[in-house]
Order: sequence, then structure tokens, then C-alpha cells
Amino acid sequence: MCLALQQVSKSYWRGPHETTVLKDVSLSVYAGECVAVWGQRGSGKTTLLKVAAGLERPESGIVRFKEQDLGGMSRGALVRLLREEIGWARRTGPESDELEMLDYVALPLLKSQTLRRARRRSAAALARVGVAECSKGRWDDLTDGERTLVSIAHAMVRQPSLLVVDDPTANLDVLQREEVMGLLRSTAEQDWLGVLITVPDMPSMVHAHRIGSLSDGRLLVPTGASPERDNVVEFPGRGRAAPG
Amino acid sequence: MSAKNAVLGLVIERPGYGYDLARRLEERFGSSGFAPTGVYSALDQLSSDELVRSAGSRADAANERAAPRTIYEATPKGIDHFEEWMVGGSSLAPVRDELYMKIALSRPHNLSRLIELARTQEQDCLARLQELRQPVTRPQQGRPKAWSEVAVLLVRDAEIKQLQARVEWLQKARIIMDKLNGAQDRGAARGGEFA
Repeated sequence: MCLALQQVSKSYWRGPHETTVLKDVSLSVYAGECVAVWGQRGSGKTTLLKVAAGLERPESGIVRFKEQDLGGMSRGALVRLLREEIGWARRTGPESDELEMLDYVALPLLKSQTLRRARRRSAAALARVGVAECSKGRWDDLTDGERTLVSIAHAMVRQPSLLVVDDPTANLDVLQREEVMGLLRSTAEQDWLGVLITVPDMPSMVHAHRIGSLSDGRLLVPTGASPERDNVVEFPGRGRAAPG
Repeated sequence: MSAKNAVLGLVIERPGYGYDLARRLEERFGSSGFAPTGVYSALDQLSSDELVRSAGSRADAANERAAPRTIYEATPKGIDHFEEWMVGGSSLAPVRDELYMKIALSRPHNLSRLIELARTQEQDCLARLQELRQPVTRPQQGRPKAWSEVAVLLVRDAEIKQLQARVEWLQKARIIMDKLNGAQDRGAARGGEFA
């Protein structure tokens, strides 16, 4: 299993008032599957992702990443995990407007690799998501669809085990949405990683292997499904795969 | 809405026999609630109106003793009729729902059960959405270009958006019913009355 949330609860304090954003949420993401969580504005989607990616700690419950309890992890180990194993696709783009996308996507690799090698992997990541032509472009010049794909390349370049994307289909038309969601699904299946996304729009969920809806801090799954294990087929000797 | 125009449209796209048309109707409009047998009555009606006609028959390869199947094709009158329908106005679907009726006629002691019903319906909507999932195909490179592909996407989106609107309403209804139910329980604990 790639990621498992077990009865996770999370609250925020606004002045004297405590608001519970997640209530006893259980959810798992396996390698090879794309899990999509839908919710209305303010339903707790982004908090769910932050907790899943180890960026925020829950008040109660357990978050396990590859069987390791994130709650019991040292700060250093958690930072290493976030840097190497969990890809968070940020849609805000680079800090500098001057940066070409080839270098922006290469940035996460520069600590451990030469610029030349990092650029080569960056070019491969951009080609993998279908925007090789953007490598010389700058963030401001890109369309919303291209920005989404470049963000995914930026998160994927270190070949993480878990890819986390908050609303990957924002501002996209139907055709762009199909392309991005098809990419996320095929990435999960072919690169054998877990993909967890949140969406405010239900049509974006149609390519996901598993889905759920979040409201009032609680996660609901389809009739007959379980948030932790459902309709995922076990293949002897080959791990797990979601059925078609 | 009867299945008549949908069946006529499918016959214009490609002639076919009853079972084939029922299968295609289910594939394209599965959630519209057309009964499979509706195809046969639609074909009878379309034939008597001379909008479709027999284009021959085909033996059942799997069962030699079965009666040959009639293949239907559209007549020129049928094509004209379909074109007229295509440019005509489209009515809004009537809003009729059993849960709405139950909520409208419910009393405070029914709230717990209504909350449960709303939760179950939301899960049913999610299950329906999961049924619409596309089969695994090769990775999508480039966008679908053909209008037929885009049209299928748009119709699927319309259906999913209806499910979404339904789920949004169910969630809001559930949250407010939860609140009132909690207030009712607290009121009962204090010996008060909630109506």
C-alpha cells in the first residue's frame, strides 16, 4: 500500500471557535491507481491532501506512507520523504518569471544532480506529460492546460511513489480535462505510483479508479465500496492493479 | 420522452436489428431509463409511421433454428422527421422525486431516517458515476478530434453534472437535517418540544 489514512480528524481554531475539517476519514491509495475525492468549496479537500502528503499533522488518526507512520517520523525524515517520495503538483509556477520550463522542472533535481543531467530528465518529464514544446517557454506564456501539465512534470521529475494534485482540472475545457485526467490515470498505471487528487467538479472523476465525496469533514464512498479496500484486483506475483 | 427519436437516430447512424439497437441504446443512454423492450415498441411505432423499414434480415449465427432478425433502416421520411426533431426545441425534464416528496411530508421524528436516506442516495450517485468510468484504453495522446467523440463527452458531462447537482443538494439537506435532528435531541433531553 502506498498511502493509508486511518480515522483521521483535523481541526482548525479560528479565534475561540474550533472548526473540525476532517472527521474520522479513512482512505487508502495503492500503487497503480488514481483516487479522486470530490467536494464543494470549504469541504476540507485541500486539508485532506495536506494531511495525506505529510504537510499537516492530524489531531487524531494515523497516516501511513509505505507502512511508515508519518506521525512518528522525525522532522528530517519527513522532509526527506516529502522531497523524494511524494510529488505535490503546485499550480503556482516558479518564483521567477524568467525561468524557462525546462529549468523549472529540473529544479527539484539540482540538489543531487548536475544541471545537464537534471535538464535531460526534465525534458523527458515534459515529453512524458505531452508538453515538450513548452520547455523553452515561460510560465506567463503558458495556457492553463499547459501549466497543469508542467506542474505535474515538476512533481513527477523525481519519480515519486505518490503524486498529489489539488484540482488538476481547474479552468480547463472538456477536452483539456480529458487529456489531463487520462494522463493522471495512465501515469498511475504505467509508472506504478499512487495518485491522489481532489476535484470540485464531478466529471473530472470519471477516469479515476476509485472515488469518494467529502462533505462536512466526512468521506463517503460509492454504494458497495469501502474507503480502504474495494474493487482492486490482486494479481498473484504482480502486486495490485485496479480493474479496467 | 419516448425512445422513438433515440431509436430513429441510432437507425440513421447505422441500420440494425432489435437486440442490437437495444444494446446501443443502453450504451448511449443507459441512465435515461429507457426499458430494453421500449426499443421494440418504438420500432413498431416507427414502422407504422413509415419512418423506418425492413432492410432485409439476418440469420442468428449462434442459433440456426432461431427466426432471422429483421434489420431496420430509416426511410427518407424518417430522416426528414429526425432532422425536424433535431432543430426543434427541447423541453426540460420534469422534477419529480420521491425523496423530495418524503421530505416535504415528513415530521421531526422522521429526520434520522431521512438523513440516512440522503446519505444512501449520495452513495448511489457516486456508484452511478463510477459505472460511467471509461474502460482502460491506450494512453490518450492528443485530443479527441471527431465530433462524435466530443458529443459523447458532452452528453456524459451533462449526466454527471446532474448527479453532481443532486449530490450537492443531498449534502446540504443532510447537513441541515443533522443540525435540526441534533437540536431536537437536545430539546428532548431538556424535556422541551421540537416541531
